[in-house]
Amino acid sequence: MINGADIHLLLPEIILGLAAIVVMLSIAVKRCHLFAHIFSLAAFALAFISLFLIHVNGTQVTDLFITDGYSRFFTGLIIAAAFFIAAISYPYFKTRDIHKEEYYILLILATLGAVSMVISNHFISFFLSLEVMSVSMYSLIAYLKNDSIGIEAGIKYLVMAAVSASILLFGFALIYAQTGQMELSKLQGTISAAVAKDILFIAGMALVIAGIGFKMALVPFHLWTPDIYGGAPAPVSAFVATVSKGAAFAFLLRFFHDLNGSVHNSVWIAFAVIAIASMLIGNLLALRQQNIKRILAYSSIGHLGYLMVALLAASVVGIKAAVFYLVTYFISMLSAFGIVSYLSGKDNELYDLDDYKGLFWQRPWLAALFTMVLLSLAGIPLTAGFMGKFYLLLSGIGSSLWILTIVLVVSSFVGLYYYLRVALMMFTHSELPRQKFKGGSFVPASILLALMFIFLLWIGIFPGTLLDIIQHLIPAI
Amino acid sequence: MMTHIPTNEGLLLAAILFLLGLIGTMTRRNIIYILMCLEIMLNACGLAFVVAGAKWMQADGQVMFIFILAMAAAEVSVGLALILQMHHQHKTVDVNALNQLKD
Repeated sequence: MINGADIHLLLPEIILGLAAIVVMLSIAVKRCHLFAHIFSLAAFALAFISLFLIHVNGTQVTDLFITDGYSRFFTGLIIAAAFFIAAISYPYFKTRDIHKEEYYILLILATLGAVSMVISNHFISFFLSLEVMSVSMYSLIAYLKNDSIGIEAGIKYLVMAAVSASILLFGFALIYAQTGQMELSKLQGTISAAVAKDILFIAGMALVIAGIGFKMALVPFHLWTPDIYGGAPAPVSAFVATVSKGAAFAFLLRFFHDLNGSVHNSVWIAFAVIAIASMLIGNLLALRQQNIKRILAYSSIGHLGYLMVALLAASVVGIKAAVFYLVTYFISMLSAFGIVSYLSGKDNELYDLDDYKGLFWQRPWLAALFTMVLLSLAGIPLTAGFMGKFYLLLSGIGSSLWILTIVLVVSSFVGLYYYLRVALMMFTHSELPRQKFKGGSFVPASILLALMFIFLLWIGIFPGTLLDIIQHLIPAI
Repeated sequence: MMTHIPTNEGLLLAAILFLLGLIGTMTRRNIIYILMCLEIMLNACGLAFVVAGAKWMQADGQVMFIFILAMAAAEVSVGLALILQMHHQHKTVDVNALNQLKD
């Protein structure tokens, strides 16, 4: 049973849940975009602060949730990302002729789903939080409902996410049928050698891999990614790219860690094949794209493949490397989509590569940040992405995953080409008039983007700070 | 006390239903049928959970089923709203009309 002492461990989730209700009620009283925006920012800030008020050391809150340093770190990361997304959404939606307030309810609810996912310790809580996040995301993706591309993306995501959720559920059902346990922390104890070899159990694991692989957009479950990124509003694409993938990865890491050693070798091999395919195919398909959002989509497939290397390393170093890399990935992806939405005008988005021609000569700082982001995604030294990749390689080599490590290096080189292609485009001279980049004069969003620039440099040059935080919060899961 | 349900037969039935739903979602072109097939898949998962719960004499499987029902209802309500918008724009419920997003 839940008791009063446990309630405060769920403070961030409670704050987010209440905030969604307050925004909803405020719409009933009076529609005000600025209020909904500022209130949701305040709610995210409050939820973030509340993380520092709770002192946790692996406390289980009923069977369903577990709050430890690991979950606290991911909760903080996700809430910070949601704060950034809410901040860049205001200028994006301000000029559009739609109801804007509901967007913030959905954003808060989707974030609530994501943070509950990283603290879940049970199939039921994981499934519920996954669905809270997904159902909010269907509406977020199709939020610009007069835009037929948005509706198309929403329906595609709905069908594929629902199929993947049921595949995941069937996998959970098979695992439950063989082990009689739905609690992650107790699952390992029920997996005897006989169960681990059982065909139904392995089938269940395969279905779970497919279901979570879909959420993380790993090859061969990646086909939805470019369409959704391309069709959704840019701030929502940022959410799909970071928060939803990060939360699924955090859960997978815990799941894999809790099952450590007791799964059949075939599961490990399946993950390795998926990781290799994601790294190569994600980066190769990005080469021939013209749409910046689709490039970022394929690049995110590759990045999640890199993360899988650290997951497969199955060591403490691997977990830390994965967490570190995920932070750098969050910062880079958020800034990239932040710039795309920052530059978008009243009814259109700048997504074509050619639209970015000459950006440097008109908005030098923005172009500098975008270049920094691309270099970080490519993993060039002195950027955050380089340090992240460095630790990934370290963990891969530490666990003697030679093939995976080599594929990581090779696909990073492939990635370099298309990142630099975008960067080159921005530095090309163009004769177009200045008002082409008319969006982007909103001060808070500019400050946040500048902050991201500093983070990217800071982590790239002094990775110790972030490492210390990770070390402090995640001594072991 | 729950009467005994044969586990393997129950899981087999659930798997058949699940596959039927999966085949339906992949072959149907009408978005409303696709949503119905999704429901079949989700309910097949629910059935599998109930069977598994019966095997272990636990209520967890049935609890899961109730959650699945609730989430499926939420999913379909959002899905129907999207279908309304799609019908509004394309005047059809054929998913082949959704072909603007491609490489």
